[in-house]
Amino acid sequence: MRMNIFRQEFNMRLRSVIIWSAAMLAMLFVFTSLFTAFAPDAELLNEMMSKFPEALLTAFGMNGVNLATILGYFSFIFLFVQVCLAIQAANYGFGLVSVEEREWTADFLLAKPVGRPQILTSKLLAALSGLLITDIVVWVSSFAFIQLFKGDRTYDTQTLVLLLLSIVPFQLFFLAVGLVVSLLMKRIRSVTPYAMALGFGMYFLSVFGDMLGESVLEKITPFRHFDAQYIIQHDAYDMPLVLISVAVILVSLVGSYVLYTRRNIPAVV
Amino acid sequence: MNIFLRELKANLKSLLIWGVIVVLFVVVGTSKFTAYYENPEMLAILDTLPPAMLAAFNMQAFNLTTVTGFFGLMFTYYALMVAIAAAMWGSDIISKEERDKTVEFALTLPVTRGRVVTAKALAALVNCVALLLITWGTSLASTAQFHPDSEFYKFVGLCMVALFLIQLIFLAIGIFLGCALKQYRRASSIAVSLLLGTYFLSILPGLNKNLDFVKYFTPFKYFDAGLLLRESRFDVTFVLLSLVIVVASMAGAYLTYTRRDLYI
Repeated sequence: MRMNIFRQEFNMRLRSVIIWSAAMLAMLFVFTSLFTAFAPDAELLNEMMSKFPEALLTAFGMNGVNLATILGYFSFIFLFVQVCLAIQAANYGFGLVSVEEREWTADFLLAKPVGRPQILTSKLLAALSGLLITDIVVWVSSFAFIQLFKGDRTYDTQTLVLLLLSIVPFQLFFLAVGLVVSLLMKRIRSVTPYAMALGFGMYFLSVFGDMLGESVLEKITPFRHFDAQYIIQHDAYDMPLVLISVAVILVSLVGSYVLYTRRNIPAVV
Repeated sequence: MNIFLRELKANLKSLLIWGVIVVLFVVVGTSKFTAYYENPEMLAILDTLPPAMLAAFNMQAFNLTTVTGFFGLMFTYYALMVAIAAAMWGSDIISKEERDKTVEFALTLPVTRGRVVTAKALAALVNCVALLLITWGTSLASTAQFHPDSEFYKFVGLCMVALFLIQLIFLAIGIFLGCALKQYRRASSIAVSLLLGTYFLSILPGLNKNLDFVKYFTPFKYFDAGLLLRESRFDVTFVLLSLVIVVASMAGAYLTYTRRDLYI
């Protein structure tokens, strides 16, 4: 790792990290604060629902969620935090090395006496520290807001910790996949469409599964691997699915190093 | 005219990709829907429920045993997809000249900046309409196997008009951002954050009745599939509000782009 590359990359991304973190903080605040008013309604709803057969509830996507408990409610809003995290991580992944080629700075960077693996390591670590800052903001604010708005209800701290920790591999998935896809392409003109496609595409896949029943297709989305409802109900990760994510992350990272060291770089003539 | 044609050609690939995504989405959705269509178990349950409750849960609009209910459920996702596409095209079509360092060339041509914006906006609009027609066509084709009645076609038609207005809103906002912002990279990221923000906002009114006023701030709440089905009409306030947003954004786009410094 080279400190100067790391610092440059980190500073470049700092603004975006702050904006994303602030947005997620605001979102967590707004959604969690609604819990106090929402809980009594949810209890009524629960009572009514318990009389319904399961098939009907599945069809309306209402089974498995107990919105009257603070963690059940939190698992519902956590999905939106995950969408943001996914798009942010995918954004950083797609932009990590493609930005140099788009702005014609690649030949400048690569002419420096630093090996390509080292450049990639420094860039990756810089992006990871950015993501970590966001994580810390999400962690602290989740805890704080839940404490603040839970009222007299109790929750299991360990389950919440488990849920909050899951966002690290979740982000890594999008970062690594974004990076390897950007290296497989010849040129990326604009990062946002790709990041949106990856983030929202995976979200859609998972929502589809909720709405209309399971199938193999949904197994590929990290929204399913780190499903908040599953974690809260079982107090554990869905291990086989988490391992899929880990495998994808490892393969993408190794692939990125191989691809980047042999990549043809277009230069300004 | 040649700017318009050039933009159409340049965006063709993106349109095709979006088209494929929409078709896949519709096909996968319909294939899953077949499991619910006139499912005797669920029909029996629905028969036992009192009509008042059906109305309370909006189950006529979102009853998965009918084609109409299925389409009502899918409407939100269609809206999100066409909105993303429109916001991307709108914010990209102006700002890409600066990103690709072709803006000096484009603006030295003997056309005014206003006409450049018009040609580009029209090209993006044609793309949006094409994507909408693809959505419409595949929805009708994939549901034809269930022999829906004329009521259903009317409902789908109304939903498509609603989707078109949502597209127009995000397209206009995207174009405005592309025109107004000095840094080309900001245009698409702000367009995306607006989209995400309004999408998340659209969930709030469902959680708390006091937050009903939020619906004015999010285009995803302007058109309710339930209302479209029950009363076959649009809420005039929201149609007007949409048009105001579109007109204001486009006016802003022309005003700012004709007098701003370019990033070279």
